[in-house]
Amino acid sequence: MAIVELRNLTKSYRKNRGIIDVSFSIEEGEVFGFIGPNGAGKSTTIRTLLNFIYPTSGSATIFGKNIIKHSQEIRQNIGYLPSEIHYYDDMKVVDLLKYSARFHKKFSAERMKELASRLDLDVNRKIEDLSFGNRKKVGIVQALLHEPKLIILDEPTSGLDPLIQNHFFDLLKEERDNGATIFFSSHILSEVQKMCDRVAIIKDGKLVTVETIEHLTKNKVKNITLTLEHPEQLHFELNGMIKKEVNGNAVTLLYSGDIKALLKRLNDLPVQDVLIEEPTLEEVFMHYYE
Amino acid sequence: MIFMRELKRSRKSLIIWSLVLAGLIIWLLSIFPQFAEGQKSMNDLFEAYPESMKQMFGMDRINLGTLIGFYGIEIYMMTTLLGTIYSALLASNILAKEENEKTIEFLLSKPVSRGRIVLEKLLAVVVNIVILNIVSTISSLIGFQFTKDADVPGKTFALLIIATLLLHLTFAAISFMLSSLMRKTRNTLSASLAIVIVTYFLNVMSGLSEDLDVLKYFSPFKYVDAANIINENMLEPIFIVLMAAIIIFSIFTAFMVYRKKTLPFNWSCGAKQ
Repeated sequence: MAIVELRNLTKSYRKNRGIIDVSFSIEEGEVFGFIGPNGAGKSTTIRTLLNFIYPTSGSATIFGKNIIKHSQEIRQNIGYLPSEIHYYDDMKVVDLLKYSARFHKKFSAERMKELASRLDLDVNRKIEDLSFGNRKKVGIVQALLHEPKLIILDEPTSGLDPLIQNHFFDLLKEERDNGATIFFSSHILSEVQKMCDRVAIIKDGKLVTVETIEHLTKNKVKNITLTLEHPEQLHFELNGMIKKEVNGNAVTLLYSGDIKALLKRLNDLPVQDVLIEEPTLEEVFMHYYE
Repeated sequence: MIFMRELKRSRKSLIIWSLVLAGLIIWLLSIFPQFAEGQKSMNDLFEAYPESMKQMFGMDRINLGTLIGFYGIEIYMMTTLLGTIYSALLASNILAKEENEKTIEFLLSKPVSRGRIVLEKLLAVVVNIVILNIVSTISSLIGFQFTKDADVPGKTFALLIIATLLLHLTFAAISFMLSSLMRKTRNTLSASLAIVIVTYFLNVMSGLSEDLDVLKYFSPFKYVDAANIINENMLEPIFIVLMAAIIIFSIFTAFMVYRKKTLPFNWSCGAKQ
């Protein structure tokens, strides 16, 4: 059964771009990535799904129910982590978490303690004293505490240090194993790759494609920067080379071919330094849809 | 749930306002006996006041020497004005604060309807105001004990108390509506306070001359004028109807506006981080 289904969902604003004709569906138990650059319409889509804002046209269902008519019922079983966390400064973490879970009529002190300890969060601190990363942790516990059937995460990892990120991903895997469906929005390709089964890519308010992660990672694109004495004399031709740019001593390559072949070739070159990194999303998009 | 949360959040300010108001009432009433003793010289002093000033405060129609007259001028002014400021501040904050602090995104993601949010917050405002009024009534009753023989006509006193409560609710309703319309608490706060001050000023002005009499319809303070209530021993029906109309209209508007409002505003601008 499709847990979330969007049919030509459109939200237009007077001045700004919203989303246009977005259709996709998320199956039960799936970890579904939603990826695109900032301002592409990810948050708009999520906020429309949660009925904070009304769609201009098109429709969507969650748990098979209309997102407008049955919004309150739907939200009963949703855990939502917004991209920006703003909570009541006068509350302690524990107060906020209780307040949140009681709306869902599901508060368990045990579960709260467990989630908080796994993310290394002190629930007795005042929210106004918390750092950005700690607020994010409060947001995560808040989203998971009532054991929602659908977890919607908007840029969940920003502000979390890598160790906590790993704990967070472990928590998500457990939730998925317990039957939850996860909708994971991000602008960072690698974390979506790590976590998700399928990915929807959105750009300029339009859905570009929905892909399985396998398919996406087959076209592993890497950004390679080489530092050489005389880069202009370099003849570097390999299968899978997409782009080559010379910049002083540096050569920047966008490469999607076999990594071993690349390393072999590099071995024979008088390189002073090599940097292999994830391309930016923009670069992936440019390559992917040429 | 939101109701309990709002009560808790506003508790501190309610306690402070209650203490201040109760202290003022009891202190003022405690000086009434001396005041009444010096009545003769007082009357002479008031005679010397300019006529327009006496009209402004209704002193020409109330006998300050009686306890109810003293109450109507001195204490009623405190309870109506201070209580109104409290009510306006409380109500103007309560909806807009969620948007101002951006906590509204949290609240909206919970299984609760917007109508429910407005309703629970409204109830919290009403309960706070009722508590403040109970405190001021009890303080007045305590204060009356300082005066041995001076008696207060029960009905008149009750009318003044009801009038005060109605006045507070009227201003709370107006501020509540503003709170639903606006997004920044500093805007709602200034607008609410401006309305309180302007209408209070109109109330004072309307007493000045016949020509300005029409102003009384624009000031809820005039609806509950102490001199009228004490002299007529009743609340004028037209003013009760006017207050009820303002309250109903404001609350209805608040519900309608809030249900359709784009919350929070910055989403529609695509603003992020």
